[in-house]
Amino acid sequence: MIRFRNPVHLSSLLVTPEIARVSLTVLDNGLTVIHQQTVATSVASVDVWVRAGAVREPDDWCGMAHFLEHMIFKGSDRLPPGVFDREVEFRGGVTNAATSYDYAHYFITTAVQYLDATLPYLAEILLNAAIPDNEFDRERDVVLEEIRQSYDSPDCVAFQVLSETVYQNHPYGRPILGTEDHLLQLTPAAMRTFHRSYYQPENMTVVVVGNLSQSEAIHLIERHFHTFPEPVACPYWAMDAEPPITQIRRQEIAMPRLEQARLLMAWLGPGLDSTLQSMDEQLHNAYGLDVLSVLLAEGRTSRLIWELREDRNLVQAVSSGFSLQRDSGLFTINAWLDPDNLERVEAIICDRLSELATAPVTAAELHRCQRLLCNDFAFSTETPGQLAGLYGYYSLFAHPELVTPYPQRIRAIQADDLQRLTSQYLSPYHYAATVVRPLE
Amino acid sequence: MLNSTLIQPIHRTTLSNGMVVLVTENPTADIIAARIFIRAGSRWEDPTRAGLNHLLSAVLTKGTQTLSSLEIAEQVESVGASLSTDSTTDYFLLSLKSVSADFAEVLELAAELLRSPTFPAAELELERRLTLQAIRSQQEQPFTVAFDQLRSHMYGDHPYALSGLGTEATVTQITRDDLLAFHQTHFRPDNVIISLAGRIPPETAIALVEKVFGDWVPPATSLPTLQLPEIVSTPSCRAIGQETQQSIVMLGYLAPAIVDTSATAQQAPTASTHPNYATLKLINTHLGNGLSSRLFVELREKRGLAYEVSAFYTTRLDQAQFVAYMGTAPENTAIALEGLQTEIDRLRTVALTDLELQAAKNKILGQYALGKQTNAQIAQTYGWYETLGLGADFDVDFQAQIAATTPAQILSVAEEYFIRPYISLVGPSSAVEEVARIV
Repeated sequence: MIRFRNPVHLSSLLVTPEIARVSLTVLDNGLTVIHQQTVATSVASVDVWVRAGAVREPDDWCGMAHFLEHMIFKGSDRLPPGVFDREVEFRGGVTNAATSYDYAHYFITTAVQYLDATLPYLAEILLNAAIPDNEFDRERDVVLEEIRQSYDSPDCVAFQVLSETVYQNHPYGRPILGTEDHLLQLTPAAMRTFHRSYYQPENMTVVVVGNLSQSEAIHLIERHFHTFPEPVACPYWAMDAEPPITQIRRQEIAMPRLEQARLLMAWLGPGLDSTLQSMDEQLHNAYGLDVLSVLLAEGRTSRLIWELREDRNLVQAVSSGFSLQRDSGLFTINAWLDPDNLERVEAIICDRLSELATAPVTAAELHRCQRLLCNDFAFSTETPGQLAGLYGYYSLFAHPELVTPYPQRIRAIQADDLQRLTSQYLSPYHYAATVVRPLE
Repeated sequence: MLNSTLIQPIHRTTLSNGMVVLVTENPTADIIAARIFIRAGSRWEDPTRAGLNHLLSAVLTKGTQTLSSLEIAEQVESVGASLSTDSTTDYFLLSLKSVSADFAEVLELAAELLRSPTFPAAELELERRLTLQAIRSQQEQPFTVAFDQLRSHMYGDHPYALSGLGTEATVTQITRDDLLAFHQTHFRPDNVIISLAGRIPPETAIALVEKVFGDWVPPATSLPTLQLPEIVSTPSCRAIGQETQQSIVMLGYLAPAIVDTSATAQQAPTASTHPNYATLKLINTHLGNGLSSRLFVELREKRGLAYEVSAFYTTRLDQAQFVAYMGTAPENTAIALEGLQTEIDRLRTVALTDLELQAAKNKILGQYALGKQTNAQIAQTYGWYETLGLGADFDVDFQAQIAATTPAQILSVAEEYFIRPYISLVGPSSAVEEVARIV
């Protein structure tokens, strides 16, 4: 129901020594179960991740994955609309869902003793979604409101323009919500096809975190995620490889009611599907880009915040992030600033990237970034809900047991890795830029 | 239900200088979070200096007698800790979080910031410029425009009328002397509450706070007192036309402060909760919180009028707001307004069924427990209750009050407060101005 992008630095998994009791099991039907017992809390979370995000949509079904996420909540033949929500909330729990390019996910957080009572409902609506004709048009109106709301947000609009500029072939360039024109063409029958095709056990991971044992968790999941619908074939989108960015691709737009300009810059980063590199190397590179984003724009002492905000007063704010995606990650630098400073700030950012590619960072600076990331990780794994989200997200890419602990990996990054990654990925001559100016 | 008292009990101590220390030991993770509350915030601002607390919070971390802005940031970031300041209507807050081993060092820095900031002139000018820009940028969001309009209409001359940022006119006027004077008046140990949660035994935590703050001497002057303008109820409808994709429709009602400010209650030795506070929180949950709430089901699920439709009841030391709102297509503005109004009016005439009441109670108590999971959330909750004057016991009292609420109480409270709404509309002129005229 909310559109969701992964939290920047938790873009990837992560098993620490303290939380070593994470297990991964593949059930006979192909469903993956990840479990962790957390004894100190009465809260439990179940998070179901489905590899059925917007990338699975054929071109003319744009918006389908997200709209389906809404329609899941309309129940099954046995469960009328609203019953699932009521059953979870009646027991003091919360539930919600989100859709992105690589996935859709659905979660419940509740007292552990109510998992038995609520989980069957979640399984029922996910596996046996009815997608009733009479609910379809009404819920489409809700999604159209969601689209209108996003059009009233300059940052949403700017990010969509940037995505389209970066990804000219790949579905990562599409709007996840679709557009009004797209949505008006979708049909309940097509949505059922999409659902029956992708909501299958081999595409799904169920994460269970709370004070219950592994065997209790597996038993619970086996019992309720048992009978999947008969799979049907779905038209799919033959993805062309995204060509590298070989110049500066620039898009300028003007928006009404804008009080300050935006500069968004993006570089294609590594994904996790390369056949040329091992998973280990790909993760190492992805985490290196996490470190670079911290070095550039997290904390007052980071290079860009210090220079652009604190010292030279050229921006209102500047941020950076690396978002790990299956086919190709996206490294971004965003600034909110006076329109008069747009060109100057862009030039400074390019200069600083050139410097990073030629001169190694100091040990102290690297250490600062590593400490920040390791602690961010510790601060973001306090609750069952946070943990379940993290494991589920990661499950899209790899198996937890293949991955050494996140802090250990972050600490393994060297100054020359950062130099190499900057030259390899963050060229000041090859990137996409979106500039948003106030409409005169 | 969730067991929200699984955590160790709270230890409360008052240092000899009057500073209150709350400690909740939670050994689960190798983290300590602290929230340091000062009884300040925008309700203490002179109207001509609105935004002072926000500006003070931005500049507080940018210089002390011994440290520059860069040195302060280096101390925090080199150990990967987080330290931030914030101001709300009712309190000023310094939040910090670190792994346990680094906590003492970060707390010492926090004490230096709170006790001896220098508010460097260049930093004040930088943060002033950024604040002025932030005030303008808020106007980019239709929701904020609608809420600003509602808030200023409801509160008139009261400081709650403005966002914490202040206005362009007031922020321009604030001087370094204003910051120094405000700091001197309000930042004193007998006006401070520190609440800690994490992997630290209470005796260790108290000794550490004593070491870092124990020699902070309160001034001989008495604590400041506050005389605020009365809030007069003048509900009507206001509209702002702008070319947005959606209309924002918002209804607001004045609602009780959390603390009972009646004459009899004020004579009591300790503060008590307003008798209708918990009931209104429960009404809010039933009406506008979650996927099974009345507004969500009636206006979104059954009629497809909105993506976002919700309600909130603010927790405040002075008169609070109960607000219901939604975003909708411009052509649905009138229907949305009527829909929100109908659902609120229904609360005044039709009693909740036992099942509805039980659902609302379970929902609010469950969410309450889920809101106290992280160390930062735990430290925040108990520190806030202490700051409000209710004490950490309110944690238990509140849940008991919710559990005891009856359908008859809900009817009578709804009848008392939901009389005539303040209405705020934002959207294309053609859509909102016509509706405002009819209302």
